[in-house]
Amino acid sequence: MTEQMRRPRRGQGELEARVLAALREAPGPVTAGWVQEWLGEPLAYTTVVTILTRLHTKQAVARERAGRSFVWIPADEAGLAARRMRKVLDAERDRGAVLASFVTDLSPDDEQLLRELLGGAGD
Amino acid sequence: MGVFVVLPLVLPLTAWPIARLAGPRLHPRTATRVLSLVGGVLAVCSTLCLLLLMVAGTAQLPGNPLPDAWADPEVRAVVPYDEAVGQAALLVLAAVALACGHLLWRHGRVRAGAARALTGLPPSRRAVLPDERPYAYALPGGPRGRGRVVVSSGMLDLLDAREREALIAHEEAHLTGRHHRFLLVAGLAARANPFLRPLRSAVAFTAERWADEDAARAVGDRRVVARAIGKAALASGPGRGLRGVPPLPAFAAGPAPGPVPRRVAALLRPVPPARAWPPAGTAAGLALWTATAGAAASALSSANATLVLVTVLRGATSAL
Repeated sequence: MTEQMRRPRRGQGELEARVLAALREAPGPVTAGWVQEWLGEPLAYTTVVTILTRLHTKQAVARERAGRSFVWIPADEAGLAARRMRKVLDAERDRGAVLASFVTDLSPDDEQLLRELLGGAGD
Repeated sequence: MGVFVVLPLVLPLTAWPIARLAGPRLHPRTATRVLSLVGGVLAVCSTLCLLLLMVAGTAQLPGNPLPDAWADPEVRAVVPYDEAVGQAALLVLAAVALACGHLLWRHGRVRAGAARALTGLPPSRRAVLPDERPYAYALPGGPRGRGRVVVSSGMLDLLDAREREALIAHEEAHLTGRHHRFLLVAGLAARANPFLRPLRSAVAFTAERWADEDAARAVGDRRVVARAIGKAALASGPGRGLRGVPPLPAFAAGPAPGPVPRRVAALLRPVPPARAWPPAGTAAGLALWTATAGAAASALSSANATLVLVTVLRGATSAL
């Protein structure tokens, strides 16, 4: 208890952020041991693995098998965001629009009409 | 109460001619504001009317808010009521509440989901997502957060520099004009009274037109905006883009052109006049007067019915 009082307990979010930062600094795919060393703190190896696994479930990091353990790399944030956004849009698409889309579907007649209109507009 | 109670339920029928006449003829900014306001007023009145029918008609059901004085035959004789209509109104009200609640929930979920999707990205005003499917959206911000424009790389690849500028200006116009609020009001109104559905489609269209006009002013060339819309729509292909709001039914035979060709055609015409109130002799003027008269009549009869009920009840309770 006294140990905990002296060192302020940090939230999981902060640790996850630091682990992610470590992976971004890494020269390439690295092991959990490398992350543990980089953090330079008295963190148990299993704690680091737990955090990495949690980040993996959140799709914030990717891992590859290397021998008997994993090597870890940070996920591509923009690509992740794109996949998550597509999920939102696909779910919305089935039930009419909440968000106003820049363009909506064309019927074949619309397509024909649009080509005529733009043909006339072309410079 | 009499006929005044039922009037607000039927007056939303005027939405159809209003949407047909005012939608294409007013400046899109005015049209969006007027149509969603009219829709909102008519929907509130229609719901109020349902409430009155329900309260007066279901007095015998437990949990009714009417005071005990209602049981007095003299009071009952003054206020017309119908148990069957009251119970039907109760069911309809429940359906309205459910439909509106569902729409609000869906709005919240989509916006929260979209915001969550972007969490990992830097909090910039614009987010470009690597996705070959062409799309562009304006994500409205919450009460505190600012909105964001989300564009896929697939969309940007389709357009040249000036067309991209037009696209961004269009989405920015949605955000600065807070167009999602008008769409939400019109959507809720359409669920409160199905007669108001034409207004929902009309507002969806005029809000896009409003953003198109703002974008055209921002880039200084209407044709660039028209080209951007055309290219994006043609590349999205059938079934790949989001399903649009169906066009209003046409008077003439044959399918009416969809929203995209109508937007492009409007951009190829000169800037629409920004007159706030067109002369009464024109079709737009006629629509506006109909809208105003319908909304006012609806509001007046709802207010009248409420007043009558409240006065009678107050008289009844104080007399006993």
